[in-house]
Amino acid sequence: MPVGRDSRAKYLVAVPQTVAQQDLSKLVAGINLWDATEAAAKYISGQSPEDFSSQRRFSFCILPSQVGRDWLGSLIRLNCDTFVECFPELDLEDLAPLVGKKSLPKHDLLVCLSTRSAYHLPVARKFVTSLRHRGLIGDGVASSVEMAVQEAFANSLIHGNLELATGGHLSMDRFKELGEETERRLASRHHGARAIILTARRRKNGQVVITINDQGNGFSPPDANATAPISRKDTTFGRGLPLIRSLCHSVNFLRDGRTIELTFDDSQSTTALGDTAFLNDLETRLTTSPDALRIAQNATILIADDTLLSREIIASYLRADGFTNLVFAKDGEDAIAQIKTHNPDLIILDIIMPKLDGYAVCKAVRADPAYAKTPIIAQTALEENEGRTRIFDDGATDLILKPLNKAELIARTKIHLENRLLVQQLQAYQARTQSELELARNMQENLNPTPEHYRGVGMDYGMRISATFQMSSELGGDMWGLVPIDAHRLGVYIVDFAGHGLGAALNTFRLHSLIWSEQVDDQTPDVYLQRLNRHLKGLLPVGQYATMLYGIVDRQNNTFAYASAACTSPVLGNTATGEARYLDGSGVPLGVIRDARYETREVPFDRDSFLLLYSDALIETTLDNGQFLCEAGLLKMLQDTVLEGGRDIDLAAQIADQFMDRAPAKLDDDFTIVSLQAANIPSAG
Amino acid sequence: MNYKTDFANGTTTVEVTGRFTFGDHSSFRKLIEEVRGHGSSTLVLDISGVDFIDSAGLGMLLLARDEGEKSNTNVILRGAQGQVKRMLEVARFDTLFQLEN
Repeated sequence: MPVGRDSRAKYLVAVPQTVAQQDLSKLVAGINLWDATEAAAKYISGQSPEDFSSQRRFSFCILPSQVGRDWLGSLIRLNCDTFVECFPELDLEDLAPLVGKKSLPKHDLLVCLSTRSAYHLPVARKFVTSLRHRGLIGDGVASSVEMAVQEAFANSLIHGNLELATGGHLSMDRFKELGEETERRLASRHHGARAIILTARRRKNGQVVITINDQGNGFSPPDANATAPISRKDTTFGRGLPLIRSLCHSVNFLRDGRTIELTFDDSQSTTALGDTAFLNDLETRLTTSPDALRIAQNATILIADDTLLSREIIASYLRADGFTNLVFAKDGEDAIAQIKTHNPDLIILDIIMPKLDGYAVCKAVRADPAYAKTPIIAQTALEENEGRTRIFDDGATDLILKPLNKAELIARTKIHLENRLLVQQLQAYQARTQSELELARNMQENLNPTPEHYRGVGMDYGMRISATFQMSSELGGDMWGLVPIDAHRLGVYIVDFAGHGLGAALNTFRLHSLIWSEQVDDQTPDVYLQRLNRHLKGLLPVGQYATMLYGIVDRQNNTFAYASAACTSPVLGNTATGEARYLDGSGVPLGVIRDARYETREVPFDRDSFLLLYSDALIETTLDNGQFLCEAGLLKMLQDTVLEGGRDIDLAAQIADQFMDRAPAKLDDDFTIVSLQAANIPSAG
Repeated sequence: MNYKTDFANGTTTVEVTGRFTFGDHSSFRKLIEEVRGHGSSTLVLDISGVDFIDSAGLGMLLLARDEGEKSNTNVILRGAQGQVKRMLEVARFDTLFQLEN
């Protein structure tokens, strides 16, 4: 097993356990992952992507040769931008600079796979899910991006790396031949071992650029305007290009057609004033930390007006009332410059000005997050409604009519400064709360068993245990755990507190300490839940409750006995046939009534059994088809996954990966999923 | 891509599920061979359970249609949703197939 060479390792590398050290060394030496002079890499190995903490930052993730769905899932699970499959024939040729450290341009995500692995995997889907989770594209555009990437990827793979010609009329015989030729070429070293690289990066202007690079012979892209309709006789194979063009902002071919570059506009990040030069300046603004404004009279006020007399009148009114920190601007561009230099607490802005009018200044100021909350009082002689509404649309806080009335000017100035004072205090408070929430999140995540722990415990009982936990955007109330009872019996629980936020998180801490202070021993699940409920009822305020399942897998008697407090219905299935069914999850939630009674239910759990426990986020999240994952849908997903992957897979992780492909990047509720499968590991007992 | 066939009263119904993309050619060939044996007058491809299709998948649907023409089988596409529906619209499959909801 590779071990760290240097405790001051500059590069943290995630490595699958199955990758041999010599292959790894060859890969690392061969493709110039980092400068040889800084060969300070630390390798961390894992059995599956589940084993790598999401809180660690990895420089590289090595994927095993013949990547499967499990390792493809690392694109979402690992905090890493570069994923490279380690296969013996890997020869990147002119693709190397893409992967290497000195690569230009820099990427936000890069995936390098062999053709033979990539062919059988839903690469486009996982790539796009990964872009969503990294915030590079919004959920709304994901479907279009996926379609375009899928077509481009298929083209690069089939026409590029495999050099298959699919044009013209495709008869059934020809289709059969093509299928057989595909298999032959995938198996061959020449074609199957060619690399394909997908990269994505986000430009400063918000556009996302995706490239797909192959090692084929290249091709001359057809004329962009040739959009012949699909003939009734010709196949749609290789007809993807017009479709790609219709889905992207622009399409380019590089490296003689061996690289296709797709550019997408993310509608969420387009600004209205794209072409003005000063906007870019604003973007790379001076990060002047706003000095806390304590007294309104200490405020810095910018007076932007093109006539000297107007500026002097306003200044004299303000000075008379004790405001002395005044700065001036004589036109719109000057105003922007003064704002960047002084970061004023208030802006008094004339609308009609040379170079840049008040509307444009307002828009520019609001486009920069640093000044999004700075109050702007627009002064105008305009009487007509159109101009007055427009200036508010462009971001002004208030409006004052010329000629100025001194009392009115002072009153409005004071009101907006006091508001700003309050907003600043609130922001400081929020920042503090945020950092404390961060701490609470870490604490909550640590309530759940680590991969090493649950894998080890699973081995002790002849089971393969897999789990995935993703916290919602706020704090949540999910928790799960394992309770070894004796050599043959393993207890397992899953908890979901109602709601999320600090309250729910605190309750999970309460319950966690209760669970671990209680001696489980020989209590049956119903008695255990009854006692837990009584304790919890005393601790929880009225209206707060939890759902929970506690069960015991008995490997000697081949049973699973459990009691449920309104938990989601667990699924019991057969690894050999893929058949699965829901178990009864009914029962009174914890913390509702003091003397709740629970029922222990027992089902067979033998050497072919698997068990799936999950929180309701799995079945109550709106997926990309606008619907929840239905009961039958989950069973079908389990069956397909088990039949495809066999018994030696991390079932919960694979279900979670499929769920993440279709769920929004940010979940509203905690997501927990745990699977226990009887495995071919001899039981310790 | 997974499928399940059902044959009754001269009609074959095939429920196709999952992603239907370029890599599915061998399952698709099996599907066509299986259906060929039925000698049905109508072939219903129920694609309501397909959540993603690419242009190669569309190409395979065209193949099914060609096969149908040879054996005088009417091919119906049923229940396309979401991205699949969008793709069928883009490729104007309404002019090539009988589409059902």
